[in-house]
Amino acid sequence: MTMATTASARGGVPSLHALLRIAGWIGLGLIAVAVSLSDFLATAPANATAIGPLLAPPSADFRFGTDILGRDMLSETLHALSATVRSALPATVVTLLVGALFGFVAARLPRSLALTLRSLVGILASLPALLLAVLVIGLTTRDWAAVAAGLSAAPFTFVRAFDRARIEERATHSEYARATGISASTLLRRDLVYEFSDTILSSAARALAAVTLILSTVSFLGFGAVPPHRDLGLMIAAAKPYFLQAWWTAAFPAAALTLLILFARLAAGLDEGERA
Amino acid sequence: MSEGRPIVEVQDLGVIHNGTTELEKISFRLEGGETLVLLGDAVSGKDALLRVLGGYAKRGDVCSGTIAFGDGVALPAAKRGKSDLRVVYLAAAADAPLHPHASVVSQLSRVIARRHGSPRASAREELRIALERFPAAPPFADLKKRPGELDAMALSWALLAAAIAQAPQLLIADHAFGDLTPRSIRAIVAALMAEQKRLGFALLYAARGLKAAAQFNSRVIVLRQGKVIEEGAFAKLASGQSHAYTRTLFKALPRPLDTPPGRNATRGEPLLQVQGLDLLGAKTKSGRGRDGITFELRRGASLALIGEEGSGRRALVRALLGLDNVASGRVVLDQVDMSILSAPMTSRLRRRIAFITGADDALDPRMTLWDTVDEPLRAHLRLSREMVAGHRETALKRVGLASYDGRRAVATLSPYDKRRLQVARAIVSSPFLAVIDEPLRGLDAFAQSILTELLEDFRRQEGPAFLIITADVGVAQALAEDAMFFKDRKVVERGPLRDILKNPKDEETRLLIEAARPVTD
Amino acid sequence: MLRFVLREAGRTGLGLVGAVLLAAAISALAAPDAGSGAWHFLVAWGHALDGFAHLDFGHSAMTGVPAGEELERRLPLTLGLVLEGFAVALIVGIPVGFLFGAGPARRAAAPLVQVLSAAPIFCAGLALAFVAANLLHWPVPRGTGVASGLTLMPKDARELETLLLPVLTVGLSGAAAAQLALRRAGAESARQPWRTQLRRMGLGAWEIETVFGVPQIFAGLLSDLGEVMLALFSAAAVAEWVFNYAGAADLFVKSVALHDWAIVSPILLSFAGLTMIAGLIGRCAAYPLVATGAAP
Repeated sequence: MTMATTASARGGVPSLHALLRIAGWIGLGLIAVAVSLSDFLATAPANATAIGPLLAPPSADFRFGTDILGRDMLSETLHALSATVRSALPATVVTLLVGALFGFVAARLPRSLALTLRSLVGILASLPALLLAVLVIGLTTRDWAAVAAGLSAAPFTFVRAFDRARIEERATHSEYARATGISASTLLRRDLVYEFSDTILSSAARALAAVTLILSTVSFLGFGAVPPHRDLGLMIAAAKPYFLQAWWTAAFPAAALTLLILFARLAAGLDEGERA
Repeated sequence: MSEGRPIVEVQDLGVIHNGTTELEKISFRLEGGETLVLLGDAVSGKDALLRVLGGYAKRGDVCSGTIAFGDGVALPAAKRGKSDLRVVYLAAAADAPLHPHASVVSQLSRVIARRHGSPRASAREELRIALERFPAAPPFADLKKRPGELDAMALSWALLAAAIAQAPQLLIADHAFGDLTPRSIRAIVAALMAEQKRLGFALLYAARGLKAAAQFNSRVIVLRQGKVIEEGAFAKLASGQSHAYTRTLFKALPRPLDTPPGRNATRGEPLLQVQGLDLLGAKTKSGRGRDGITFELRRGASLALIGEEGSGRRALVRALLGLDNVASGRVVLDQVDMSILSAPMTSRLRRRIAFITGADDALDPRMTLWDTVDEPLRAHLRLSREMVAGHRETALKRVGLASYDGRRAVATLSPYDKRRLQVARAIVSSPFLAVIDEPLRGLDAFAQSILTELLEDFRRQEGPAFLIITADVGVAQALAEDAMFFKDRKVVERGPLRDILKNPKDEETRLLIEAARPVTD
Repeated sequence: MLRFVLREAGRTGLGLVGAVLLAAAISALAAPDAGSGAWHFLVAWGHALDGFAHLDFGHSAMTGVPAGEELERRLPLTLGLVLEGFAVALIVGIPVGFLFGAGPARRAAAPLVQVLSAAPIFCAGLALAFVAANLLHWPVPRGTGVASGLTLMPKDARELETLLLPVLTVGLSGAAAAQLALRRAGAESARQPWRTQLRRMGLGAWEIETVFGVPQIFAGLLSDLGEVMLALFSAAAVAEWVFNYAGAADLFVKSVALHDWAIVSPILLSFAGLTMIAGLIGRCAAYPLVATGAAP
C-alpha cells in the first residue's frame, strides 16, 4: 500500500527505491522456487559422496566443482540453501511475533509496565545478537537453533517497534483521538494496521535478512545445523580447512548466502542506514 | 538612500521547470522604498519568481525574459548570475531556516559576515545594533539560544534584524510573517516599513494569505497557476472591483466595522456550562480559590476564544475537555457534570466532539484518506460497510475530496487538503461540539475563503456548536457570533462579537481588533 | 547537559544492574543443584550475585581455573582486537560514510552499500584470508582448534601480517556499522530545510556543510557508538574462531558448547557492560552537537 500511494502521489512512476524493492522480491521469489524444486534441480541427493573426483574445480560436468568428499557442489549448495531457508522461515515468524508485534503491544501497556519491559529487553538488545543466539542454543539444544536465532533478533526489533509505537502513542493526533472518544483498542488497531500489517512484508523481509545472518553464523561456529543435514553456514565451515586451495568449496555457498540476505534487504526497502 | 531610484525591472520573465511552466510572462518595476506583494498559492509561480530574482534558481529551471538591476542594462534572466545589487533573503521563522543545533546569533553572524566580507565579531555587533532598533524584539542575549528555544515571533525579529544588518537594496521576503498572530504581524511589518523608509530598499513580499499583505497597503500582483491575474493597489483589489478570482481571495479579508448580519443561530438548550473554572490555580489571601471563568455555550451557537499565544484560550479548552487538571471549577457538558463521570462514560461523551486544527496534527499522517473519515463511524457505530462507505462518500463530496484516491496517505496531502479532510471527519462524527483551533493557519487566501465556506456549511447542516480558538479577530468574525477575549489566562471582555467590534472596552481587545484591520493609510 | 548526562547515566546504571542479574542467573546454572527446582535456582542465583559483588565469578567446570583469571587472560586480547578493529572502522568507515552518506551520492550509493554489507562477516573473513594467502602470500593462522597465541602488538612484519587479518575482519564489520550510522544521520540531516534556507541567505555550500552538516552527521555516529560496539564484538567472535585467536569471544563460544557457565557469565557481562558504557559515552559526546534546546 505504501509503494502504491507513493507512486500514485508522484503520478505513477516508480522510483529507483521502488524498483530495488521489486528486484528484491523477485530475487526472493526465485530463491523460493529454487528451494521448492531443489530436489529436482539438484543432480544428486543431499550429502551424496563420491559423485565426482575429489576437490575438482568448476567444469562442464560439475558447474560448481566438487568438495573433499567428491560431493557435487551445485547440488550441495541447493540443498544447503533449502535447509537455510527452511530454518530461517520459522525464525522470522518468531522475530515478528516476539519482536515487532509484542513491541507494538507493549508500548500501549500502562506506562510503568511498558517502560520496565523496554528496559529488560533493552538489556538483551545490548548483547550482540550472535552471542545471544549462541547462548540460547547452549541453554537448550541445537534443535532450537531457529527459535534461538529468532529470539536473538527479536530484542532489536522489539526496541524499534516499541520506540516507534511510543512516539505514535504520545503524538498529538493520538491525544486528539482520545479526546474524541477513540478507544485505546482502536488506536492499537491503527498501529497494527499501519505499522505492522501494512508493512508486514517489509518487516518479514527485514527479519529474514537478520535471522539468516545469525543462523548461518551460528552454524558456521558449530551451533546450528547438525551434519549430515547441512545448511550454508555449516557448508562453509566444512570448507574452511581447504578453501584456500579450493576456493569453490566456500565461494558458491557464500555467494548463495549473500544473495539471500541481499534480496531480503532489498525487499525490505532498507534505506539510509537501517540495520537488518 | 536609494528611494525613488530603480532597483529592479523585470520584463516578460518566464520560468519553465523540467518542462512545466511555473511562471508565464510577468513584468514589473520596483523602485527604492517601494513594496510589491505577490499574492498566490503554492503553485501560483511566485516561488519561481523569487528563485530567479534571489539568484537561487533550481537545476532544471529555464528562464526567459530580462532583468535589470539598479541602473544596469537589462540582461537575459537565464544569465542572472551575481549582481552588484545587494539582494537579501528574509526567511520565514515557520520554515525552520536555521540549523537546530547551533545558536541563532552564530548563524546569523555568519550570514552578515559573509555578506560584508567582515570578521564575525563585527558582524555580531552589527546584528546587535540592528536588533536594538526594534523595541519589541527580544534582547540580544536571547539570540545565544538555539532556534528551538525561541518562539516564532522572537525568531522573526532576529531574522529581520539580520536582513537589515546586511543593508539590503532589494529585500525578498518569502512568506516571512504569514504564520504569526495578527498583532505580531502588525508590529513587525510596521518596524520593517520604518526600516524601509530609513534605508530606502525595495521590498518584494511573497504572501499566501492576506494577514501580512493587508498590513503593507501596497501594490499587489495576484498570481494563479503561473499567470498574472490582476495587478493594482491593495485597497482597490479589496474593494470588490476586481477579477472574480481576486474577489474570492479577498473574501478572507476581515472587515471589522462592516460585520455581517448576526446569524440566526439556534438558541437551544445549554450544551456547555462552565462555572468558576480557575486556570491560574492560585489561592487568594483568604485561602479560597480565585474567581474563575464562568460561561455558557448553547446548542448550535458559536463562541470564539480570542487572544495571543499563551493567553489561556487553549488551556481553557483543555480544561473543559478534561485533558488537563484544574484547581477548581465545574464543567457540565450536555447536562452531565464531567467530574463525576467514569472514564468509559467520559469517552462516550467525547464521541460527540470534533476537532479541527490549523496544525493538522489532529490527523494521523499514516492513515489513508478513507480510513480517516471511516474511523469515527467504525469505532463508535455498528454500521455495515456499505453504510460506512456511503457516509464517507457524502462527506468527501461535500469537502471536495471525493475525486482523490482514498488509499492515499494523509502525509501526502497538502495543508489545504488536510484541513478539508478534518472537516469531512467532523461531518461523519455528527458532533454536538466542534473545537476549531486556528482553522485558516498556513493556507493561502483562496483556500482560506473556501475553508471558511466549508465550515459555515458544516455548521448549517450538522448544527454543532462551535468553539473557536484564534488570535485573529477576522477568523472569529467569519465563524462566531459571541466572543471572549483573553489575556494572561483571564477573560478581559466578552459578549456578542458585533457589539465588541463596534465598541471595545478593554485595551487588549482593542489591540487585537486593530491588528486584524488592514492598513489603509 | 548535566540533566541529560545524569538521566542517561541512570539508565545505563539500571541496564548494568540488569546485565549483572542476567549474568548471575547464567552463572547460577553452574551450581550443582540449580536444576533441582525454582527455589534451588534462586538460592544459587543469590550466591552468584554475592560472588559477583566480591568479583568472584566461580571456577571453570572444565579446567577448575577461576573464571576471573581466565577473563583476565583472555579479555585483553579481545579488547585489543576490538580496539584495533575500531580504529580500522573509523579510518575506513568515516570517509566512506561521509563520501556516500551525504549529499547527492547518498541515494545513489544506497544499493551499493546494501550489496557490500549483505555478506556475513565470516564470509568476509574467509575472503580476506583467501586474498591474503593467495595474492599477498601472507601467513594465515589456521590451527587445529588450538589457540595460536597471537599477541596484540606484533614484533615483526610476519606477526603483523598474521594479526592484520582478524583486525581487518573486525574492522570492516565496524566500518559497515559506522558508515550505517553516518548514512542514517546524513539522511536525517538531508530532510531538514536549513541547508536550502541558509544557502538562500547567502552562506556558501562548503561553509554550510563543514560548519553545520558535518558535526550533525558525526553526532549520529557518536549516538550510535553502542551499535558499532555490538558489531565489533560480534565480528570479534567470528574472527577469533576463523583465525584461531585465543580471545574472550572465542572462549565464550567454546564455553557455551561445553556448558561451562561460570566462564560464560563474566564474559557476557563484560561485553554487555562495555557496549552499554560505550553507548553512554557516545550519547553524551553527541549531546552538545545535537541538542536543540527545545522542550521535549
